[in-house]
Amino acid sequence: MALSKAELVEHIYKMVEAASGKRQLKASDLWKAVLKEHSELDKKDVQTAIKELIDGGRCVYTYFGGSYVELPRVEAAAKKG
Amino acid sequence: MSKTPLLDQLESGPWPSFVTDLKRMAAKKPQVKDLLAQLERSYQEKITHWKHGGIVGVLGYGSGIIGRYSDLAETFPGVEHFHTMRINQPSGWFYTTKALRGLCDIWDKHGSGLLNMHGATGDIIFLGTRTENLEPCFAELTANGWDLGGSGSTFRSPSCCLGPARCEWACYDTMEACYVLTQEMQFDMHRPSYPYKYKLKFSGCPNDCVAAVARADLSIIGVWKDDIRIDQAAVKAYAGGELKPRGGATPYAKLDIKADVTDLCPTHCMSYDGKKLAIDNRNCNHCMHCINLMPQALRPGTETGATLLLGSHAPILEGAQLSWVIQPFIVMESPYDEFKELNVRITEWWAEHGKNRERIGELILRLGMREFLEAAELPPAPQQVRIPRANPFFFWQQSDFDAEAKGRKYYTREGFDVE
Amino acid sequence: MSERKTDIGPPHYEQFLPPIIKENYGKWKYHEIPEPGVLKHVSETGAELYSVRAGAARLISTDFVREVCEVADKFCDGYLRFTSRNNIEFLLTDKGKIAGLKAELKKAGIPIGGTGHSVTSIIHTQGWVHCHTPAIDASGPVKAVMDDLFEYFGTHKLPAQVRIALACCINMCGAVHCSDIAMCGVHRTAPKIMHDRLRHLCEIPTTIASCPTGAIRPHPDKSLKSVSVNEPKCMYCGNCYTMCPALPCFDAEKGGIAILVGGKVSNAKSAPAFSRLAIPYIPNNPPRWPEVVAAIRNILIKYAEGANKWERLGEWINRIGWEKFFEVCDIPFTFQHIDDYKFQAYDTYRTSMHFKF
Repeated sequence: MALSKAELVEHIYKMVEAASGKRQLKASDLWKAVLKEHSELDKKDVQTAIKELIDGGRCVYTYFGGSYVELPRVEAAAKKG
Repeated sequence: MSKTPLLDQLESGPWPSFVTDLKRMAAKKPQVKDLLAQLERSYQEKITHWKHGGIVGVLGYGSGIIGRYSDLAETFPGVEHFHTMRINQPSGWFYTTKALRGLCDIWDKHGSGLLNMHGATGDIIFLGTRTENLEPCFAELTANGWDLGGSGSTFRSPSCCLGPARCEWACYDTMEACYVLTQEMQFDMHRPSYPYKYKLKFSGCPNDCVAAVARADLSIIGVWKDDIRIDQAAVKAYAGGELKPRGGATPYAKLDIKADVTDLCPTHCMSYDGKKLAIDNRNCNHCMHCINLMPQALRPGTETGATLLLGSHAPILEGAQLSWVIQPFIVMESPYDEFKELNVRITEWWAEHGKNRERIGELILRLGMREFLEAAELPPAPQQVRIPRANPFFFWQQSDFDAEAKGRKYYTREGFDVE
Repeated sequence: MSERKTDIGPPHYEQFLPPIIKENYGKWKYHEIPEPGVLKHVSETGAELYSVRAGAARLISTDFVREVCEVADKFCDGYLRFTSRNNIEFLLTDKGKIAGLKAELKKAGIPIGGTGHSVTSIIHTQGWVHCHTPAIDASGPVKAVMDDLFEYFGTHKLPAQVRIALACCINMCGAVHCSDIAMCGVHRTAPKIMHDRLRHLCEIPTTIASCPTGAIRPHPDKSLKSVSVNEPKCMYCGNCYTMCPALPCFDAEKGGIAILVGGKVSNAKSAPAFSRLAIPYIPNNPPRWPEVVAAIRNILIKYAEGANKWERLGEWINRIGWEKFFEVCDIPFTFQHIDDYKFQAYDTYRTSMHFKF
């Protein structure tokens, strides 16, 4: 089943949402997972879709030793106490 | 009574004092006053009071901002947020005062006014601002022609020695190569998609003034293939003491060409009979010692390019590594297509196989040099090793047998037969 | 809102080059260092460029940068650069202006030097001024060491150049691993787990994943909703603290400084080399770290006395042997000196009779 551009964006968003709080996904985890199911796509398509999620503020890049794509949240270090 | 009695003790002595400098900013900036107070507290307690922030950034980028929060925010509200911004430096760290003042104006307006010129990777480091200032500061930086550098699992801001801008030993244009590659890789610099960090450093000669061999995943070090250029009259002037060794920057008044130069040549490829310096250039290993000592007499040759070395990084995680020679010679000329293509093959292979936080040098240790070289389409070359293996545990692949059957060397695949 | 600009990269370097560099780009013929801190580059065309090298703290203010700009405007037509070791270079073509420039720098308390056979500026990390995992401060020990070695910054007295570096923890952001003399902050205890805070502040799976040696596990008491640390596996990198602020790895009493020596990056004579452990631990003693300052001076002096001409610190040690180095510098040899970390260890054990008593 071919994914449209918009569907790919939503597909990736759902992956990030499902992993939230359990596992931090890297951009490479996302493209590897997508390309496994959708061989018609290439890495660039996934990167462009991630860029759309990031530029729109629906996802953010985080850095905790490595860089991840996550849902926006208040970070632990910014909390008092 | 002073509020910073311990830090005050760092104001005396001949070396410039960061405490004195910070105190003068503290008079104007409350956050710097709180910074000094928190630092004094660290000096008393011998622990840090910073927390790592991993989320703040500017919209669209996953790099260039390092989040930092105080764990004493209630006591020192000025440093509740104290984020770092990394601004990509120009090649060779050259500036006009106009450009520097422009940067200062931006940072005075949006941040603490404290900075490093420069950070370890090469960027201009702006130290200390609040989350809400990041976007306005970024907007003003880009409006003035500046951009953020790399951080996180990205292509980090490359850096270079000043090369042909001021050095007679530059074997390629480090300044241009650094600029071109930085521009080429903007997407990967700002949108983390690598397993971990990836650094490029461009040094113009084997003196390696930007420490490429130790501090860059891909180290591009200038080298020549032909003969060292000799001015015999100048050699004589060094022997006679009219010219001082190393341009004069040593305690030694006069060079003894045999004892100081030819006897210390690591390959013993040179000799001096009191009149003429002879170099067996085919046996020179480009160490630079003789050239360093007699800069007016000797210069690198004119058939120049670079050696590519790969894999260095600081000790995390498998222990520090120095870069390994992967390609003994490459011509480095604009538009650098051969280099760019190789760089992509390297990063693609690493992105495909690297684990989280695994540097390229560590991945090669895990999967093997042959696998890497084949993926990067680099043929085996004796320059890649210091010494061949001592163990008999080497393996043969079908491609080796195929090559053998076709009358080629055991060298793997087609296109790899050299000479 | 106007169009958001991104991915423009750094400005092109050419606009920052003084005219003499633009005209002689790639045409430089040779250089001299007529006095400490002053470089003279001569082009094929005969043009002469002077660079006056000055030392600065790495942590500076915009006030300081503006001060430096004023000097550069007055003497250098507004052109200057920085070196890879945080030195400032004032670029000028008029030889007659050098004396005035030097006087102005002296007045401002900015030292001139860092060329040739000197101790040049110490490259270092952020320490307590900005970092979340340091064992020590960075700017403080650097200031103390440079005050002590000041005589070597503005002179060419040593057998070769000596490069000193400092990293405030073993992550070594400063990449001190190839310096003649390196200070490295060391933690010596595993993180303390603050169970009460961890539950609220941290995600357990990502905290566990953050440990590079796999030393962190879910706490056996599930009701705690916390983790446990297998202390013998911990190498004190602080990465778990990066992920989870309830796992601080600081210990005010046990943290300290290790000294590593003998590294280099240049290829001159000998190959680039790692710095090797000389002193595993010196107490963390702010504000001026006198024990560290004394230890570095001791090594530097013994090197200056013992080295042959042109020998870097590591080359001197390799010639006399490490056992001799420990003897000459009166440094006790400990179990910590014997490598037992991963693949590099076996390479360091001696397999010959080539040693000294």
